Amino acid sequence: MQKIRVLVANRPRLMRDLVLATISEQPDIEVLGELEDDSKIIEAVEETQPDFVIIALDRPNERPAICDNLLGHHPRVKVLALAAGQDNSVFFWSDIQSTPIESSEQGILNVIRGKTKPRFQHVM
Amino acid sequence: MSHDSRPTVFLLAQNRLLREVLSRILSKKNDLQVVGSCALSPDSFAQILSASPEILVIDSFSTTLANTELIREVQQSLPTIKLVMIGMERDERQFLETVRRGAMGYIVKDASALEVVAAVRTVAGGGAACSAELTAFLFRFAAGQNQLPNFHVRSRLGLTIREQQLVGFISRGLTNKEIAAELQLAEHTVRNHIHRMLRKLGATHRLALVDICRMEGATV
Repeated sequence: MQKIRVLVANRPRLMRDLVLATISEQPDIEVLGELEDDSKIIEAVEETQPDFVIIALDRPNERPAICDNLLGHHPRVKVLALAAGQDNSVFFWSDIQSTPIESSEQGILNVIRGKTKPRFQHVM
Repeated sequence: MSHDSRPTVFLLAQNRLLREVLSRILSKKNDLQVVGSCALSPDSFAQILSASPEILVIDSFSTTLANTELIREVQQSLPTIKLVMIGMERDERQFLETVRRGAMGYIVKDASALEVVAAVRTVAGGGAACSAELTAFLFRFAAGQNQLPNFHVRSRLGLTIREQQLVGFISRGLTNKEIAAELQLAEHTVRNHIHRMLRKLGATHRLALVDICRMEGATV
């Protein structure tokens, strides 16, 4: 079975650790690597060809700049942006569509496993 | 069934992922017992109280000014509770404020999940925990405390901060020249300061300045 390939690049470290603790032991998910620097994301995506990239959502309701760059060059990649604070400020993009998801273990696993479909166009 | 003596932990955090995963990691080694977790809401206080944990881990998002009141209420109702804060950043002022509010642990979010767990264990064991950087800050802060003006001495003897600082040097037996070098002042400036102090305190020689300040309770 083809595993879902995920690159974990969200900040801060604690939140990244929590994501890794959630996904790294799942049999159907492969963690390609861990990045703490946004500036290296594009390069890492080109190198590892992930299905999913998890990035930080620094400001609630604001689409992270790296998102456009990523989706512009790699439309196949899906992006999950995770805030360090609130529950509901997690967004998931596929192409230009996005949808808010719950910041929980199940919420994140459902998105990665394709059980959550993007619903809105350009909400942010 | 024997009484469970494992330290009990409660998590107050807005982010569900944080509550879920931290609870799991904290419980992993079986030496800590997570007795509950919740986001901040009007029910938080009742939830914490009914769980009566020994340790309360608070994510900084749950601790805006509006709910320092909650922390105070919790401390009043559970006086032996130990607070561990997960701070968003290395803000030294926020850190000090948190220590003053009685926190025994302060972890920044740049820390790893394992560091958070280690901090909770340390606090559970009666210790205090923060990052090496904040520990260094705490040491510098504590060391600097003695150089801060002694307000009592100031109000009773009318000595300025600079003058109090000079008394400290005199007590260590430094000459005017040495004090001047230490403070990067001209030697005559030091001499003038000391003359003024002698006059102010009616002292006849410089070591008497030290004695007078000590009698007023200054730690020089």
